[in-house]
Amino acid sequence: MTEATLSPPLAGAPSLISWYEATARQRLAALLDPPSFDEFLGPDQREVSPHLPIFDLPEQFDDGMIVGRGLLDGCPVLVAAQEGRFMGGAFGEVHGAKLTGLLRAARDIPGVTVLILFDTGGVRLQEANAGELAIAEIMRAMIEARRAGTRVVGLIGGRAGCYGGGGLIAGCCSVLVVSEQGRISVSGPEVIETNRGVEEFDARDRALVWRTMGGKHRRLIGGADLFAGDSVDSFRAAAITAIQRAEPFSQDVLAAEQARLKERLSRFGACTDATEVWAALGIERPELVPAMVTDDFITLANSKQEAHRGAR
Amino acid sequence: MTDWTREREARDARIAAGRAFADGKVVARESAKALLEVIIRPGDRVCLEGDNQKQADLLAEALARVDPDKVHDLHMVQSGIVLPAHLDVFDRKIARRLDYAYSGPQAGRIAKMLFGGQIALGAVHTYLELFARYFVDLTPQVALIAAVSADREGNLYTGPNTEDTPTVVEATTFKNGLVVAQVNEIVDRVPRVDIPGDRVHFVVDARKPFYVEPLFTRDPGAITETQILTAMLAIRGIYAEYGVQRLNHGIGFNTAAIELLLPTYGERLGLKGKIATRWALNPHPTLIPAIESGWVQQIHCFGSEVGMDDYIRARSDIFFTGPDGSLRSNRAFCQTAGLYACDMFIGSTLQIDLEGHSSTVTTSRIAGFGGAPNMGSDARGRRHPSAAWLQAGREADPDRAPALRRGRKLVVQIGETFGEKNVPLFVEQLDALALAEKLDLDLAPVMVYADDVTHIVTEEGIANLLLCRSRDEREQAIRGVAGYTDVGRGRDAGMVRRLRERGVIRRPEDLDIDPLDADRSMLAARSIKELVQWSGGLYRPPSQFRNW
Repeated sequence: MTEATLSPPLAGAPSLISWYEATARQRLAALLDPPSFDEFLGPDQREVSPHLPIFDLPEQFDDGMIVGRGLLDGCPVLVAAQEGRFMGGAFGEVHGAKLTGLLRAARDIPGVTVLILFDTGGVRLQEANAGELAIAEIMRAMIEARRAGTRVVGLIGGRAGCYGGGGLIAGCCSVLVVSEQGRISVSGPEVIETNRGVEEFDARDRALVWRTMGGKHRRLIGGADLFAGDSVDSFRAAAITAIQRAEPFSQDVLAAEQARLKERLSRFGACTDATEVWAALGIERPELVPAMVTDDFITLANSKQEAHRGAR
Repeated sequence: MTDWTREREARDARIAAGRAFADGKVVARESAKALLEVIIRPGDRVCLEGDNQKQADLLAEALARVDPDKVHDLHMVQSGIVLPAHLDVFDRKIARRLDYAYSGPQAGRIAKMLFGGQIALGAVHTYLELFARYFVDLTPQVALIAAVSADREGNLYTGPNTEDTPTVVEATTFKNGLVVAQVNEIVDRVPRVDIPGDRVHFVVDARKPFYVEPLFTRDPGAITETQILTAMLAIRGIYAEYGVQRLNHGIGFNTAAIELLLPTYGERLGLKGKIATRWALNPHPTLIPAIESGWVQQIHCFGSEVGMDDYIRARSDIFFTGPDGSLRSNRAFCQTAGLYACDMFIGSTLQIDLEGHSSTVTTSRIAGFGGAPNMGSDARGRRHPSAAWLQAGREADPDRAPALRRGRKLVVQIGETFGEKNVPLFVEQLDALALAEKLDLDLAPVMVYADDVTHIVTEEGIANLLLCRSRDEREQAIRGVAGYTDVGRGRDAGMVRRLRERGVIRRPEDLDIDPLDADRSMLAARSIKELVQWSGGLYRPPSQFRNW
């Protein structure tokens, strides 16, 4: 295990486009085989939120959700990408309906894979009921699609993380890829602090936030299956692996997932900090995990992560 | 017969009273309050050390707990009103009068207490100005200071965050005052002697580090593309134009963007070695890529910055360091350097009016000044030439004989036309004026006076106020870069066009800058983690800045 000692980053080199920094459209353009992307219900259709104007808020022509089809390493895929820069990537009525529709279409295309590029804070407060309904509809559509044989791969590493209903949807995916910058959780740091006090969780302590909800921790405890560096290239490679990794969905898989979560709770339920969890996983110097570089971390995670045993 | 040594005798009496709580000079932290109750007398001028960075926090809390029947009517003369305890002493009627420089984190509460009359305000100063008055009419009777470690003789190691301490001690101890230092630990031998022990009367063993605010850390992840555009304009239109070598930067995101563009955009323009080589500056983490790329020759610091100590220690060719290897900062000297030896100050502000006065005061918040008005002012006593200084002087006064013409310091205000929460940067009238009226102050708290400002940079372009020949031209030059704010929309289009033809206003395209090039990929580092990588792992950012 080594500490981060790297040469200075090469700013602007195209092969190093940062996933965290990129827009949803930049991510899609670099993720898929060029020029294979074909958008459904694109901005030219102007399918905007019916709720935002009531609050005098600006709309976006794609409502912050881009859906379509394309090729990944020659394989046909359906894709959905959230734009974290528009309303924090939050789910609204139209935003959610586009993903629901995509998953329902996937159900009817045998053997297709769906990629979801999450970047979301959860549900939009301004269209809360419609947004919450959308989350439920998406989860149902995803389970139906998975039962029909569709593989759903979630990619998480954007600025907004994957929070609220987005965290629930991610939990229903076949495989999750996460980067260090990615965060997966249901309640966000500020929500926890507001409800339980700063002693419970200090939302301003970013290192605490990341070691509790961030990509490395999620990878180590099995909340995510693959770890990517923060480049579009790295996410592309991980997505290709993820498609091969995804297991067919069945009642056995669900039972295994339930058993995995139960065991996780009994093993780590008493830990008060992620570093204690890492120590319990047998990592000798858990305090060095946050500073580890990507390749070293992947080696570590592959050797120490919790047993998977056909779950998800 | 006149007694000429009353002050000294009074000090000796206080020291004698304090000995009851000390073992030699060393006082346990539990006895700090009791010590202060016997060594401070009602009506004393007290300097409680603390600025925008380091804080004598244990002594501040002890002072806030003293018995107001024993200690009251103090006159606080200190750089910073930063900790809640700094205002608690006024709430508890321990202190009455206040002369200070900076109150960033307490800006809201101090405004309320000034309106409520709990504080009798002398003046809001710049740091250097307050230090100057320590030696003339605000000399402390008691100074409560902070250091990293002390030996039993009272020799102090103030370490990287030396900051105000030497100045405060100098003014106090050599004028019969009494110095109490809180230290993180008592050691057999201090790593270096920053303050000789015979200037220190009591040492309180705090057994914990004094508080330091990481005020100068700007997360590159939060820099916007508009800020990058303003930074490109400044580099091309001012740094390159005047060949600015010696300078100071404010703490805003616009100047952080400039620091991160030097090794990328600056390099592309061939400016390395020609601009931004010598600095009066805190150790900004965002300057690491420029240092590592060989842009920077030398930096003198006001204070240190949390997490930068190991990096500085490993870069002693760049920074001022002691025989122990760690940074030696000194606010008074660095402020003097910024005033006399720098050719440019560039910083952000909250409000700019039609003449070019700028202020960070709003009606409900009084953040004080810190050092900006000193950095951001023309030093009338300056006599040495430099190319940038002479060129600015020539632009301001082209007709005077060169040998009798003063140069001008470049004082640049940089910002977006709409700042945080979409509040316009440009206003018809500063909130500072309303505040001065409300508090019945002789002077409105203006950060940088209009006659010191030479350039205003926004995403709309650069207004060069040196080239303005009348009040009207000046107003239109300012309106001309004020974009879609009310001030901007009130411009005289014809006059703005003529000003642009004369180069008084320069748009991005006039400087061959395409606003679409202002992209975050231009930043040499786009996250705190990339700064750590640039530093080879030597920069250790505090927890609140680490998203890993």
